[in-house]
Amino acid sequence: MRYVATIHVRTKPEVRDPQGEAARGALRSLGLDVSDVRVGKEIVVTFDAADQAAAKDALRLMGNELLANPVIEDFSVEFTERVPA
Amino acid sequence: MTRIALLRYPGTWSERDFEHAFSLIPDVETAILWHEDADLTGFDAAIVPGGFSYGDYLRAGAIAKLSPATRALRAFADEGKPVLGSCNGFQILCEAGLLPGALLRNAGLEYRCDWIHVRVDSDRTPWTRGLHGQVLRMPIGHGEGCFVADPDTIAELEETGRVVFRYADRTGAATLEANPNGSVGNIAGICNESGNVVGLMPHPERCVEALLGGTDGYRVLANVAKVVAGTGPALYR
Repeated sequence: MRYVATIHVRTKPEVRDPQGEAARGALRSLGLDVSDVRVGKEIVVTFDAADQAAAKDALRLMGNELLANPVIEDFSVEFTERVPA
Repeated sequence: MTRIALLRYPGTWSERDFEHAFSLIPDVETAILWHEDADLTGFDAAIVPGGFSYGDYLRAGAIAKLSPATRALRAFADEGKPVLGSCNGFQILCEAGLLPGALLRNAGLEYRCDWIHVRVDSDRTPWTRGLHGQVLRMPIGHGEGCFVADPDTIAELEETGRVVFRYADRTGAATLEANPNGSVGNIAGICNESGNVVGLMPHPERCVEALLGGTDGYRVLANVAKVVAGTGPALYR
């Protein structure tokens, strides 16, 4: 079965995000009352797996081993669509 | 003769600088090894040079962690052989789990290209044996050098003498102003539990002769040759 999933990667809440802080400053310069900005990543993967459980395992492996760094980042996964093979 | 391997990943750019630096040190020979077929058999030490491996895609050092060279390096490090990662090499060692923690974007968001001072806070590594307390002047050039780790890891590093280099002023005081990137505790370099694997953000290979503006890097690189040859200070604990 072919799966398409989105992996969202975010800096852990306790880890400082200078990119977010810079964006917050810039948004404030637009006159907006923005109290916090966190910048993350969205990664879309298309892959084959036997079933949904196997697909979830594969996504967990992708996130833990490469796409996110567990020291500084959290990730969550979301199936975007399932294309019949 | 001390044989030192210089690993080259796609995007590594400091391996030739290390080659030149080691050419100035007596009784050392080097070889540049391409990451896909890096065989570390017969080498006494290995360097993970700086650069932008894999274009820093995903995170600095992230993709290099899955390269065959990194697998070979893990086995080499497990044998207790000296390993040094500088700049992107430090980032690769952290991503690969050979060193704890991670390197984030600099607190000021700026790429910092400058001469800085570090204080040597640990001499339990083959790279720093005999240099404890010395203040070294070295260049940095990085956008992601802000060292972070969870508080327990930081406490362990501090308590067990694994903070090897700390950003300091020229007198050796680890002040806020001397910290170029926001690293926790002014940490510029650390080692693993056994002390044989060291990572640091500064570039020792870029300060090995007066023409380059400094020679303090030579002291670190020459140190390992002496330790390996058994002519330097006694082996690390």
